[in-house]
Amino acid sequence: MNTRRMVAIARRVMRQVLRDRRTVGLLVFVPMIVLALGAILFRADPAAIPLGVANEDQGLSIPLAGKISMGERIVKELAAGETFEVVTLNREAIDGRLRDGTVQGVVVFPKDFSAQFHQNQQATLDLRLEGSNPTRSMVITARVTEASIKALAGLVSMGIGLSGAAEADVPVTVEATYFYAGKEFDTMDFVAPVYIALLGMFFVFLLTCVSFLRERSQGTMERLLATPTTRLEIVVGYMAGLGLFALIQVAVIIFFTVWVLKIHYLGSLGLLFLIVALLAVVGVSLGILASAFARNEFQVVQFIPLLIIPQVLLGGTFWAVEEMPNYLQPLAYAMPITYANRALRDVMLKGWGLAEIWPNLVILTGYAVLLIALGALTMRREVA
Amino acid sequence: MDAIVKARALSKHFGPLRAVDGLNLSIRAGEIYGLLGPNGSGKTTLIRLLLGLLKPTSGRVVVLGQEMPHKAILAQIGYMTQVSALYDDLTMRENVAFFADMCGGASRPRVDEVLTLVDLQDRAGSLVRTLSGGMKQRTSLACALAHRPRLLLLDEPTVGIDPQLRATFWSYFRRLADDGVTLIVSSHVMDEAERCDRLGFMRQGKLLAEGSAAELRVQAGAATLEGAFLQFAGGEKR
Repeated sequence: MNTRRMVAIARRVMRQVLRDRRTVGLLVFVPMIVLALGAILFRADPAAIPLGVANEDQGLSIPLAGKISMGERIVKELAAGETFEVVTLNREAIDGRLRDGTVQGVVVFPKDFSAQFHQNQQATLDLRLEGSNPTRSMVITARVTEASIKALAGLVSMGIGLSGAAEADVPVTVEATYFYAGKEFDTMDFVAPVYIALLGMFFVFLLTCVSFLRERSQGTMERLLATPTTRLEIVVGYMAGLGLFALIQVAVIIFFTVWVLKIHYLGSLGLLFLIVALLAVVGVSLGILASAFARNEFQVVQFIPLLIIPQVLLGGTFWAVEEMPNYLQPLAYAMPITYANRALRDVMLKGWGLAEIWPNLVILTGYAVLLIALGALTMRREVA
Repeated sequence: MDAIVKARALSKHFGPLRAVDGLNLSIRAGEIYGLLGPNGSGKTTLIRLLLGLLKPTSGRVVVLGQEMPHKAILAQIGYMTQVSALYDDLTMRENVAFFADMCGGASRPRVDEVLTLVDLQDRAGSLVRTLSGGMKQRTSLACALAHRPRLLLLDEPTVGIDPQLRATFWSYFRRLADDGVTLIVSSHVMDEAERCDRLGFMRQGKLLAEGSAAELRVQAGAATLEGAFLQFAGGEKR
């Protein structure tokens, strides 16, 4: 072994890497950005969950202590923590607010809530959950239970309810009902729709990026442009050709998730297909655009942490966009996958139709058109 | 005869580099015009300007009566790049048919005819990846021919191929010219230039001299074309 030669080789390799400023940037900055995003999302106090309260409790008049409303005490306790942003609702408004998602759950106190508690010595809470995000449903149920126990424990010490009972023994049952989905939906059901989106977009992105890059580096692009073909024709041709594979892939993914993994879904399969097809078109155009900024296959791989991972983190895949810190939300809304995720969840978990999800589809189409135009423009960079 | 390709005061600068520098060119129908010059003399840039693939810094190009760039006229032009630009994972026939489709299409018999012309009919179904360099060059030529172009622009078509194949190529070129096709062939090999009807010596983006091989030798008072080129090049400042 010749040390001198090896050192020379090592030096040459280092020099090559250093000449490629983008690789240096990739090695240094991208991990920081990705890690920072992860840390922010994992650690940040989530934004308060909007919780509706329909309080019709007429309270209870008790000798010596005066009039006491247990519903009110629980509401006060709910509002005291940082988990919820309490919204007061009428009974009639509950379904509407759950449907449009402006409240994620509603606690309903009937007229005789206090009276029932006094009579039965136990409280049963009527909690209605939006239900499309199982993790969030669990958090709401746990916190509502906690707050109720705390509020009623205060009464115990005043001699109301079970006399002499310790705080832990306060008999509170929360009966949760789900507006969408239901108890049988678990986190996998919540994550599955976005798996579909992610896979549907990721592979066509890579495939397009690499094949377009080859087209440029092998000289066939120049050869193509020396024919009457236009740039737009080439872009659309790619889109059609690779889009077909994307659709086949989507069909496989959907088949696998629905029939093999037995993921719950409510809405129409056709709509599911449409959403992922649109996202695949976005993936193809993003690939074409990205390939203009890569000189070789290695640089294509660099786009994965740069373009794909932020979409995974911020697009609502694992963390709901609404619960992200406020300063991250605009970034999330700039990612095309956010809209696909949202539409897929609305269809699969809530059973929504085209009438409700169309704004997401319009935005996705807009992204596709914008990226196609940008992709065609970048082809101008190398030739007249 | 009317000029098929005309360039007037054509320049293309890349930053400080004057790849093509105030060049005038006029090429007649049915002739083989040889663009001769060392590497880096601007031959490829000139060809790309003629095709409208590059936008000139100044000057203009008229090809087949159309001011370039002009997309539709490209259907009547055949182009062979310096390095064979083919799809590795397609067969030879698929490559030829694809590029013909880009220019209006070619029937299957026509594709077979061109493949026979370049003597590749037996390997028509082979993937380009599995071919030798010479076969790729021939496929490239077939791709440039299938749509029956009136004008052929060939950028160093014989670079890296053996002398026998080179001779075959030149006999195709002559046959095409006899059929009325105009050819512009760039090269840095002096001996094949003898086969062109007219030659243009190119250096540093300029045409140094133009004429038939015999005329250029006489003009320079040199015994060989190489000598003539050096004579003309010597007249320029280095």
